[in-house]
Amino acid sequence: MFDKYFLLFYQFAHHHKKWILGLVFLITVAAGVRLLYTRYEGNIDLMLPPDKDIMRSMDFLRDSSLSDKMIVSLALTDPDRTKKDLFIAADQLAASLTPPLFTKVISGFSVTDVMEEFSILRYAPQVLGEQDLAIIDSQINEKTVSQKMRGIYRQSLRPESIFMSTLSRVDPLGIKLLLLDKLRALPASMGYDVDVEDGHFISRDGRHAMLIIQTPVPMMDSQRSKDLITALQAHLKDLPGFVAADIICGHLHTVSNERVIKRDIKVASIIASVVFLLLFLMVFRDARVLLVFVIPLIAVVWALIIASAIESKLSYLVIGFGTAIAGISVDYGLLVYIAMKRGADVSQTIKLAKLVFIDAITTIFSFIVLYFSLIRGYHQLALFSILCLIFCLFLSLFVLPLTLSWKRYALVLDPTIGDRFKKIYWPTKLTVGIWSLLTVMFFILSFWVKFESDVKKLDGSSPEVLRAEQIFHDVWGGKANQAIFVVTGRSLEEAMEVNDEVFREAAKIIKNGDFTSLALFWPSEKLRRENINRWDRFWRQGKEKKLKELIRGTSSAYGFSDHAFTPFFEGMYAHGNETTRSSELIAQLQERFVVNKNGEYRIMSFFPDEKQEVISLAALTETYPGTFIVSGKSLSASISSFTTQEVKILAPLALIFNVVLTWLFFRNWKETLLALVPLITGIVWLIGIMSLFNMPLNVVNIIAGIITTGVIVDYGLGITYEYRYNLRIGTVIAVSLSAGANVIGAGALLFAKHPALYSTGIAMVICMVTGYLSSIIVIPSLCSIMESSKQKVPRT
Amino acid sequence: MNINRKIIVRSVAVSALCILLCAATVLAAESGKNRESETDDLTVFLDTLGKKIANFKTLKTDFIQEKKMAMFKDKLVLKGRIYLQKPNRIAWHVDSPLRYSVLITDKLIRQWDEDTNQVQEISLTKNPIFQNVLNQLTVWFSGEYGSLLDTNTVRMVKRNPLMIEFTPRENNIAKKVIRSITITFREDQKYLQQILIQEVNGDVTTIHFMNTILDAPLDSKSFEVKGHV
Repeated sequence: MFDKYFLLFYQFAHHHKKWILGLVFLITVAAGVRLLYTRYEGNIDLMLPPDKDIMRSMDFLRDSSLSDKMIVSLALTDPDRTKKDLFIAADQLAASLTPPLFTKVISGFSVTDVMEEFSILRYAPQVLGEQDLAIIDSQINEKTVSQKMRGIYRQSLRPESIFMSTLSRVDPLGIKLLLLDKLRALPASMGYDVDVEDGHFISRDGRHAMLIIQTPVPMMDSQRSKDLITALQAHLKDLPGFVAADIICGHLHTVSNERVIKRDIKVASIIASVVFLLLFLMVFRDARVLLVFVIPLIAVVWALIIASAIESKLSYLVIGFGTAIAGISVDYGLLVYIAMKRGADVSQTIKLAKLVFIDAITTIFSFIVLYFSLIRGYHQLALFSILCLIFCLFLSLFVLPLTLSWKRYALVLDPTIGDRFKKIYWPTKLTVGIWSLLTVMFFILSFWVKFESDVKKLDGSSPEVLRAEQIFHDVWGGKANQAIFVVTGRSLEEAMEVNDEVFREAAKIIKNGDFTSLALFWPSEKLRRENINRWDRFWRQGKEKKLKELIRGTSSAYGFSDHAFTPFFEGMYAHGNETTRSSELIAQLQERFVVNKNGEYRIMSFFPDEKQEVISLAALTETYPGTFIVSGKSLSASISSFTTQEVKILAPLALIFNVVLTWLFFRNWKETLLALVPLITGIVWLIGIMSLFNMPLNVVNIIAGIITTGVIVDYGLGITYEYRYNLRIGTVIAVSLSAGANVIGAGALLFAKHPALYSTGIAMVICMVTGYLSSIIVIPSLCSIMESSKQKVPRT
Repeated sequence: MNINRKIIVRSVAVSALCILLCAATVLAAESGKNRESETDDLTVFLDTLGKKIANFKTLKTDFIQEKKMAMFKDKLVLKGRIYLQKPNRIAWHVDSPLRYSVLITDKLIRQWDEDTNQVQEISLTKNPIFQNVLNQLTVWFSGEYGSLLDTNTVRMVKRNPLMIEFTPRENNIAKKVIRSITITFREDQKYLQQILIQEVNGDVTTIHFMNTILDAPLDSKSFEVKGHV
């Protein structure tokens, strides 16, 4: 049936040569023009598993206020310049950053405002809880009150009494310290070493200032991120010469990743193209071989247009793989070209077509396996690659012969081309022995291969971005990662009430005050009312009278007036029944903890991102519905665990497909197993070599390995077919050149700066080189041994 | 006739009004100019005064500080000594009623008192208001008054003896606690005689300086805080 239909289409194409060629040309031009308007996707979500917890974490990080902030770290580079100069530069920069791209700029806060905001009698009744009142209670005794009076007297003699005396009158017991303690935890939640001087954030070394900039541009939006970074860099150019600036933000990663991938695609394409051209021209010395090279390019263009139409936007990473696909799919045109160059007749052409067809099918099936994955990015890759391969197959079998059959130029100049390959003598038993030994050795080594589960290692941001972050952390601290406990609610009060309860439980689990929450310094209105009632009961039930007596008894020794502390007693119940609304400072601090998106309030609490802590707090998410944890480490672990599960399905599937298809081609187990030698070699030696050189496997190179099995099985198919049936259609040189082209296509990725593309290149090159060498050295040796055994066994 | 008279009277009245208005404008301008020129004069004067007073490297002076505070029945009276070494070291030693010493530099203060017998060091970068107040003290003692004009409005209260009042501006962090500072100079205008600090809360601090020696020989012991008598 194959023969019948192949001949039908082949002859049809030959009878309508001009129409076919014209149509191909027009479609290619139209597709090329359309390509200029095609949009691509820089968002990594496509490559993430559609796991509920992972998607929720990614959505949360995208929607939270964490991802829409940028930090600019300003450094004084001139030792003669002072902090005043730095602050002036910071203020000028802050004033120049205006909407729409920069909605808010925070360069510090006023300490006097803080001191005013935390007026004891305004906030203490609302914020101090049972434990805090117990501490106050423990101070209401003669000894402690006497010590406090002495301390206030002593302080009154010092220069600082100018601003402390008023505070002392409203706070004889130093209750303010309890309030300040709660605020002290806040810098810890940021993990930064920040001081405040003259209303500006300043580093411990006194030579760096910080600006926190809020922007409406989402971190994952690559186009707007580019505009944002460009605009900010333009403003930074206006800084005086003695101030250097570093930008720290997620947007830089998005922009940098995209820039790196685009650069890698360009470089890899140029290298692959140049080397292909040189190789083909040197070997064949015939300009028409360029047509073989053009076919994959045409196929890639057509595939891009159709895949973009189906998927709406293609990921840059998928396109990056395109260079490798181009290398794979040049095989078909090469096989056809060489066969025609050797003057293949019709029956040989049909056999060749069958071989090329099965080659394409095995490769296509290795991509079909990706559809069994739940990751959308893999489906895109599969669609794009399959389309590429189908177009290449079609163009190689039916269009390429049309272009090569011009009568003016003789094609067949050397019908023996490639025969020299077959004449190379390999000592068969030694070859097979060495191969077996090495395979066993690499198989054993493969048990020690490492698996890299941290997806952050696949971040392709440029070294400049990473260096700026390293410098930033050296100056400002904050290297320790923080996980987030999220509480949700339909209203702010609802969320805050749950948050209070969570905080109470979490504080018992996470010690050393490492669980930083809004509840620490600004609880829900319900709890604030309870605190007020408790405060009033505390003082009314005798403590006020007792304190007054103690102060009266101990203060006279220091000459305090009778009314020295009247402001405190008079203000004790001045809060009334209404809870105070949050002040400007508290509203600013709240911004760090509260996100309001789409009518849902989310309150964040921060704790160290360590496995034990995450596990301990995970139980709370069961107790309080609507709460969840976002942890960078857990996210990485979830992604790699998910991918590992998928590989456990995809890898065997790919293997089964290859075995079945090979068997269907040969209908013979001996030949099937022979043809699978490169496949076994490629996989085992890949893992063994990675283990030997201490290179880890990761989610990207494993998938690359699976895809490559569909390529290297073609080498086995071709060589086994050639040797078993003595085809003499130049299969060996075709496979060699094909492997060369594949390695060039994949090898171009070794020049990539993006870790994901580089990792893919390594896996594919190792797989292809080992697969190819085993196909041209081991398969002929095995064929030879099988032939000798057949001859030794007498026929009866 | 009556109509003509009315016209003439009206014209005269309008003219008189115009003249008065012009005069008022001119006077206001003159007074403004006077104020401006007075401020300009004061700036120049303070600069000159500052240069005169700032013309020393070290200083040693006794002081009596009186603090009238709402918190206390009676005035607090402190007696002690001040040692100053330019550009940025001041030691303030209180001998009575409680022995207390503080060393102030541009970055920190180090203090001790006989009560706790502990030396405490406080970073001024973490205490901006404190830093501001101490910076002002440093300026008053060192004489570089020109720098106060950025953050204070200045008024000459009296010429003899010379008395100048500094009122913190809106941009001055000390405005929240200090209403005004009035400095009285010695007759020879070579140094301060008194500083009067009026606080926003109504408290008043007065520091009298006596036995002031400029360019006094000082040793390191003068700037030690612990156990210094």
